Amino acid sequence: MFESIKRYSTFIDRTNPLTKIVAAICLFIAVVLIHDPNHLFHLSLWMLLLFLVMSGIELKYQALLIAVTVLTGLVSSAYMILYGEGDTTLFEFGLVHITEESIVRGLHITMRGLTLSFFGSLIIFTTRLTDVFYSMMQQAKVKPKYAYSFMASIRMLPVIVNEFITLRRARKVRRSLISRKHIGGLRGFTSTVVILLSQSIRRAHRLAVAMESKGFDDGARTYYRQTRFSGYDVCFIALIAVGLIASYYSGQWITPFGTSDAR
Amino acid sequence: MKKRKALTLTDVLVTVVVSLVFAVIYSVWGAFYTALKPLGIHLNELVYGMWFIAPVVVYLIIRKPGVALIAEFAAASAETIVLLQFDVMLIIYGLIQGLACELVFAIVRYKSTALMVAVSAGTAAALSTLPLDWYYGYLAHLETWNLILMAGFRILSGAVVAGWLAHILYRALLETGVLKLLGQYKEIEKEA
Repeated sequence: MFESIKRYSTFIDRTNPLTKIVAAICLFIAVVLIHDPNHLFHLSLWMLLLFLVMSGIELKYQALLIAVTVLTGLVSSAYMILYGEGDTTLFEFGLVHITEESIVRGLHITMRGLTLSFFGSLIIFTTRLTDVFYSMMQQAKVKPKYAYSFMASIRMLPVIVNEFITLRRARKVRRSLISRKHIGGLRGFTSTVVILLSQSIRRAHRLAVAMESKGFDDGARTYYRQTRFSGYDVCFIALIAVGLIASYYSGQWITPFGTSDAR
Repeated sequence: MKKRKALTLTDVLVTVVVSLVFAVIYSVWGAFYTALKPLGIHLNELVYGMWFIAPVVVYLIIRKPGVALIAEFAAASAETIVLLQFDVMLIIYGLIQGLACELVFAIVRYKSTALMVAVSAGTAAALSTLPLDWYYGYLAHLETWNLILMAGFRILSGAVVAGWLAHILYRALLETGVLKLLGQYKEIEKEA
């Protein structure tokens, strides 16, 4: 999917998608349990480094992605920075009450987001989407019914998006002919969604009939692409584990934050 | 309508494709949601309910065990594909919200399509992720008025958007007649 913007591939491209998903869930749990902002700061740097080195996509896309991620990360914790509890007041205006504690806590929440986003970006640029479903069927024993439904449906995504665009254009042309309440607001929203939904249900039904008539079932089958666990998976897990542990120790050394507990 | 409780291929496909439509909507909605964030007074929570409308709509049109969970999981994971952002949090949240809806639907034994069922499912989904947010976002350390505002907005949004709006969408879909494909003749006659 991203071949056009990739410069090189790394061993992470050959890591089993299932390993990545399990690692992602573990990382999420770890991130929620880390309360030391210094530890998290180094962990997010580690993830940034991994993303820069291992994703292998072109620099300008990396830069763009990082900028968007940092911006949304900061916006997401605005509530904590502006209205968090704390004793050392830095700025107060009306309801806004910025304290040292709330800034640290807000940045901590931002870094949680960043750690997960950088890791997520690394995954998305190194994983072939179909392989996710193949490994789900082969290693996690998910029923083909579900996995192939996902795979077939995802192919419909461009159709849905196109339909949405066509619909908008059609409305634009007929703008002066139809009542305004059918364009904007709730009526406009529901009519758009209902059209998209009903067309999609028809398509899904047709697809199901076609698949069933060709004898699709949950029985034994062979796969076009084989996925398996290998030494790459061990390396990948090691990479994450080293990051988690090393960032803890480097967090004791270099401390950009004065406190060791964001709470 | 034949009583078949196990999910058929048609059920799964319809569930996933409908969720995909919502995934596209979620992605558009995401920009809107983020734009409401910077003020910090949780205006974004007012539109939060959109994120678990998929399981409610899918339940209303299929009404079988498991569809709500699959729907929300599919919608959340497809959203990460549309946005080109693999976000674990999104998927975990999706699973929890799907489970919360599933629980409400299990209580009514997957039969009722009443508005109240949709509204309570939306509310349950809104409540379900608050504990996780509590830890993730350090909500305990937020000023109390702000916290109440956030929880209130979110529950309201869950009930109105995921419940009421989902029900409107369902009734509109019934009128189009497309649900005949899924064997829902009875309801149409009743409506007419």
